[in-house]
Amino acid sequence: MSFFGFDTSRHNPAATGFSQAHNPFAGLSNREDEGDALEFEDTYDGLGDQLDETGDAFNDDTFGDTTVFESKPVGKDFDFFNTTAKVANAIEEEHVRFTRQQPTARSSQTVPQAAAPAAFQHHAPGSSSYGHYSQLPPSKPARTGYEKYSSEPVAELQVDAALWGVAPKKQTQAAVPSASPAPMAAAPARKILSLEEVEAQMRAQAKKTSQQATPSPAPPVAAVPSGSQTQVPPMHYDQAYQFAQHGQPAQHADTTGHDQGAPAGHGHPITILQRPTSKPAASPQPPTQPAAHARQQPSGPIHPTQILQNPNRLSGDAARVGMHQQSPHGSYPGHPIHRQQGSFSQQPQIITHPSQLSQLNEEEKAAYLDQEAKRAKRNHKIFLMSRDNGIMTPQDKSFVTRIQLQQLVAATGNPNEHGTDESLTEDFYYQVHSQIQGSQRQNPNQPLNNFAQTYLYQTGSRQGGMRRHHRGPENHMQRMEQQVQRAVEAAKNKPKNKQLVIEGSLGKISFSNAKTPKPLLNIKRAENPTEAHRPSSAHRHIDHVGDRKSDLRSIESIYTTLMKMEDHDRVMPPPPANDADTEAIQTFVAWNSEAQILNNQLWESLRIHDHPDNGVVHPFIILLSYTKGMKAMQRVSRHLTHEQRTTILTLILVNLDSLDVVRGAQVTPDSPQPNAAMRENVELFIVAVMSTLFNILNELDLDLVAGMLGLVCSRNVDVIAKSRVGASMLTMILSRAEIIKHGGGGSEQAWHSWDVTHTQFFDLIEPSLPHTFPGPVTTSDDIYVWQLLAALGIGASPDQQQRLVLAVKDRVMDTVALSKTLPQDLAAQRLQNVNLFMRSIGLDVELLQ
Amino acid sequence: MLFFSFFKTLIDHEVTVELKNDIQIRGVLKSVDQYLNIKLDNIQVLEEIKYPHMSAVKNVFIRGSVVRYVHLPANAVDVPLLEDATRREAANQAGKGK
Repeated sequence: MSFFGFDTSRHNPAATGFSQAHNPFAGLSNREDEGDALEFEDTYDGLGDQLDETGDAFNDDTFGDTTVFESKPVGKDFDFFNTTAKVANAIEEEHVRFTRQQPTARSSQTVPQAAAPAAFQHHAPGSSSYGHYSQLPPSKPARTGYEKYSSEPVAELQVDAALWGVAPKKQTQAAVPSASPAPMAAAPARKILSLEEVEAQMRAQAKKTSQQATPSPAPPVAAVPSGSQTQVPPMHYDQAYQFAQHGQPAQHADTTGHDQGAPAGHGHPITILQRPTSKPAASPQPPTQPAAHARQQPSGPIHPTQILQNPNRLSGDAARVGMHQQSPHGSYPGHPIHRQQGSFSQQPQIITHPSQLSQLNEEEKAAYLDQEAKRAKRNHKIFLMSRDNGIMTPQDKSFVTRIQLQQLVAATGNPNEHGTDESLTEDFYYQVHSQIQGSQRQNPNQPLNNFAQTYLYQTGSRQGGMRRHHRGPENHMQRMEQQVQRAVEAAKNKPKNKQLVIEGSLGKISFSNAKTPKPLLNIKRAENPTEAHRPSSAHRHIDHVGDRKSDLRSIESIYTTLMKMEDHDRVMPPPPANDADTEAIQTFVAWNSEAQILNNQLWESLRIHDHPDNGVVHPFIILLSYTKGMKAMQRVSRHLTHEQRTTILTLILVNLDSLDVVRGAQVTPDSPQPNAAMRENVELFIVAVMSTLFNILNELDLDLVAGMLGLVCSRNVDVIAKSRVGASMLTMILSRAEIIKHGGGGSEQAWHSWDVTHTQFFDLIEPSLPHTFPGPVTTSDDIYVWQLLAALGIGASPDQQQRLVLAVKDRVMDTVALSKTLPQDLAAQRLQNVNLFMRSIGLDVELLQ
Repeated sequence: MLFFSFFKTLIDHEVTVELKNDIQIRGVLKSVDQYLNIKLDNIQVLEEIKYPHMSAVKNVFIRGSVVRYVHLPANAVDVPLLEDATRREAANQAGKGK
């Protein structure tokens, strides 16, 4: 259309529809340039040349300013949409007017495309809009609305919907503009709608009224020849359209038997259509052709809108269909028929709503429009909600969910692998702690499981809700779980590139992950065998005598072995039920041999069989001078055999006076209490080691107990007796013998050796007895001495008892005296301690008071 | 993971978290993650006079990196177990470092 030289500067480039994908006119302008021009060439009979070019006079009304009319080339992108919108009101007026003069208008409507360039130009808005429609599915109103709404506020649509619902009549009458709040941008879209509907209405009304020959004030009406009706065959309508569209009056004349109208006549109806009032000059030339056409319209049964079709929009299929239908009715030039038939075949869809609308009664109309309004509302809602639709595909969503779950599983551990070695190494404290605190949580896995389950369930239900029809939430949840498992498996199997090694660097940087959130710098260690086996007991043979560091390291190796053994115990297979189960037997044997190896390791790391040089304390005894060495004893003894345990007890007794807690905690009358650190050590030794030794001792027979006592006799009994640990140890041995005696155990021979040893021991300890008490008599913490005295007294002969009393008489009397000055409860406590001894020799403190 | 593992056992115990800005918050440990971010419930700031803006706060989420100390309830800590766990952790790290 550039040949019209439109003023492109006048149109609003920012307006809706301009340079948008859906701009119905952008494409049209191009097509009209090419397709229509070609069409024109093919079919143009030169009538246009006879046209009065003054038809251009109204261009400025339609397209705006005339002053710049020819000054600028229009270009191919002229925005008909907006330009037309500027004269929206005028066009609307036209429509209103047009409804009153349908017959003429009808006829004039048919002509436009046949007219000279000027006429064509006039019709550009209409034709282009229809061209647009022809590309669209039947639900045109909604569709057109959307194109507008996509760039307009919500309110706009609601207003429109209201129009549909409230003022349906109005709209069909094309009276919409007054109700429209949107100034410029809104108008075009509505225009399209109203144009179409108006035309549909026109057609419908034309049907009704053409028979009645409704009088119209407009000049064309008067010019309508009534005679043409009779001659018209049913197909005339189509032909008329063909004529109208291609400007081939000759064909039309053939079928209708009408005279061809003057070329000018073809142009005039257009002007009548658009501006009946503003162009009085057109009225004097009523074209016979259009008028006749209008009269014939009723006979064209179903497809009134065909006129409106832009011939260039036809699809090949449609054209073919049209051809078949058309062919029986006579010979027409192939090309035009194609065009026309194509539009014909499309036409029923297009009119569906509007044309039927006009045929309905008021109630039906209202109901229909009401429904239409609802539909528009709903569509709009969907549209609003669907704004973000498709941003994430289902695959994206599932991908994200999978990553989240994977992270979750990685952070909390796979619910399925609790209790396994891996989770124990990573989460040892928590796992074991929760097992120990079992009463609080029945199942240590519970919190984690719940955690993971919660997430899995949520995901499942959410997805399930969305696609309820496809699969239940349960299924989906299972699927998700499987997915997570697979993902975790894959993540495990995949060689992780979790470290960055920079060329020439000493170490590597490991990336953070859920388990080690802080990136670490790992310094590469030199691979040397000693280092490699550091945690094991491999370097136990390295002798660092008296080296605290190496002592501690030895203890650590004990612990390491202990933990290995404990882990090994956990995987202990059930003992084979019968001899036939070879596999079970094999497993059990393998486990046993492994346990044996570990046991040997532990035994060696205890260094029991080391034989230090003279004057050097045995390494095992040194281990017992460290806190953690003492603490290890209980656990160690659990993993040792009976013989091994006895060996340990023997070793300790043999070295009793070299024990740190014995040597360093001697009681003297001057400094009653050892220092605080030693006191703590003593306490710990009693708790950790003595109890173990007590258990060991309780397993022993009398001969062994006698042997133990003999061993003690070979040591410095005085030193032993003057320490709390030593005294307790002696008490332990003596009382064990006494218990065996009460139980009736022990052979005659054993008892005999015991008596011998006991006498020897008594002789050794007797001189030390008065000095075994810690500090002066005011020191309350002397119960262990009384226990020792009691143990001695029970097993003593009357003579020995006498000597005992003599040895500790002073202490007894002092304590009794002191107790009188003490508060009631303290006094009772002290007297009770004394009584332990007194009763063992058949006396009572009561006798002394 | 040792600390994470350890703090998990303190869930539902009352702890005092000392932040690097000297605020001490006592509350029931509700949750901890691998970053040692901490969630406390029923909190109470120890020097409330000094930090009046905290008096209305009932629960907090503390980013792990701003924690200076966590004062533990001694009776909720299994020391020998913790020692063993530490040994294991050390062994793990030694194993990984190689």
